[in-house]
Amino acid sequence: MTLSRLDLFDDVAVRLDGVSLRYDTSEDILSGIDLVLKPGSFSFLTGASGAGKTSLLKLLYLALKPSMGEVSLFGRPTSRLTRDQLSALRRRVGVVFQEFRLLDHLTAYENVALPLRVLGRKEASYRSDVQELLAWVGLGERMHARPPTLSGGEQQRVAIARAVVTQPDILIADEPTGNVDPEMGSRLMRLFLELNKRRGTTVIIATHDLGLVRQVQAPVYRLQHGLLVQDAEYSDGTAVAGRRRTDPVKTK
Amino acid sequence: MKPRETPLLPVEDAREAALFFVVGALCFLAALATLSAKSTYGAARSWTAEVEGELTVSLPDVDRRAAEEARKLIAETDGVREARLLSKEEIDELLEPSFGSRGLPESLPLPQLVAVRADPLAQFVGPNIERRLTEAGYVSAVDEHAEWAGDVRRVLGIARLVALIAVALLASTAVAVIAFATHAALLTRRDIVDVLHLAGARDKFIASLFERRFWLLGLRAGSVGALMSLGAAAAMILAARSSGARSGLLPELSLDFYDLLILVLTPLIAGLAARFAARITVVRSLKSMM
Repeated sequence: MTLSRLDLFDDVAVRLDGVSLRYDTSEDILSGIDLVLKPGSFSFLTGASGAGKTSLLKLLYLALKPSMGEVSLFGRPTSRLTRDQLSALRRRVGVVFQEFRLLDHLTAYENVALPLRVLGRKEASYRSDVQELLAWVGLGERMHARPPTLSGGEQQRVAIARAVVTQPDILIADEPTGNVDPEMGSRLMRLFLELNKRRGTTVIIATHDLGLVRQVQAPVYRLQHGLLVQDAEYSDGTAVAGRRRTDPVKTK
Repeated sequence: MKPRETPLLPVEDAREAALFFVVGALCFLAALATLSAKSTYGAARSWTAEVEGELTVSLPDVDRRAAEEARKLIAETDGVREARLLSKEEIDELLEPSFGSRGLPESLPLPQLVAVRADPLAQFVGPNIERRLTEAGYVSAVDEHAEWAGDVRRVLGIARLVALIAVALLASTAVAVIAFATHAALLTRRDIVDVLHLAGARDKFIASLFERRFWLLGLRAGSVGALMSLGAAAAMILAARSSGARSGLLPELSLDFYDLLILVLTPLIAGLAARFAARITVVRSLKSMM
């Protein structure tokens, strides 16, 4: 089975069916979650610290297997895929990790270019794109610096540039503006929106930053005691048709 | 401006220097043990052949002239390379431990002795000699040194076994240490494995990065170890040759084609062991991920 970009035309980009997650013998971190994200959708994921936002994102970017239920990307149930097929799916998902996960021995430029090297692209073919992207996130002058010499905000911008450099079909960001000033936060949000609108990238952002959430009209999913609920209002305060203020999203 | 591309794995650091030292030292010991084992094996084979080819024929109640006739008959027997009639002085010397150095009384009847060197591969040389002498009217006793040859064979067999066990232990220790050290080195690179994995790199791609790195490390360290053992072997050979006849008890010391083959194979085996260990470790590590 090959995974091509034609899969974008599947009806569903992300689908969770009855997904539960527990680590070892602890209680369920996530419990019976059903979620459907359409291709080209833009959503926020909120919740208190420890509510399981990062765990839910790990399921979405295929770093974890659910204890129960099924995670499907582009209509493909991931439990039935081979390791190579899972790798191919991961290449279509860009991730901004909360802890950045930059490689200290590589420069900012090389960290951003890493997913392209994984794809087997020649350096000459992506050099200008990567430089442009770094300039766009305000790191044009710092592209040859290594992560330990960068500030937290600069590292976060490198991580974001790395996540979007392949123009992924799904972009998952875990607190992507946690270490940048409001102005840079707004710029990064514009980048996410641009990817979403121009390329139809499905974007899901986990954040505490309510100011950021209010900048976009998008559904807000909230994790509460391991259950996923969808607020009845969009992030900008407009009403979601047919929903109460807080409505469980098919949670079991 | 074209930025210089850095390898995805960091360049060698202190940890890899320690691993290099360990692999190099183990390869040195393993190569030296293999060379020694091969030398012991060769020496044992030649000693056994010598012992197994020695016979003594005792001819009682014959004078020296008749004994010389018997010697000729013995020399003509199939499988006999050399037959030599021992002189009175040689016989006295042989009996000296039992009868003292003052010589034996003339009246004491002593058998004539013929020392025989036979082809070690020839069979039934002793019985053939005995049969031939009986047909010619001689009374004879053939001593094939069976007991002594058996003792020598047992001792040399043990020496060979010890040499083989030493080589097997050192080689397996070298492989195990390489695997262990490679595993430890890889654990420190877990962050790189994680990032590449989540960026969509196939297991094969990630494993190949580590395999290449550790293959080269094993190859280089193994080469250093093999060169050091070559130096040690050369020094031993020079020392043995300069001691002349006094080195007679040492195993045959020389470097032939097979010794050089051992030295060439040592770094290759070290490289392959490191590469295999890296592959197993990375693949196992990746299998623990989704």
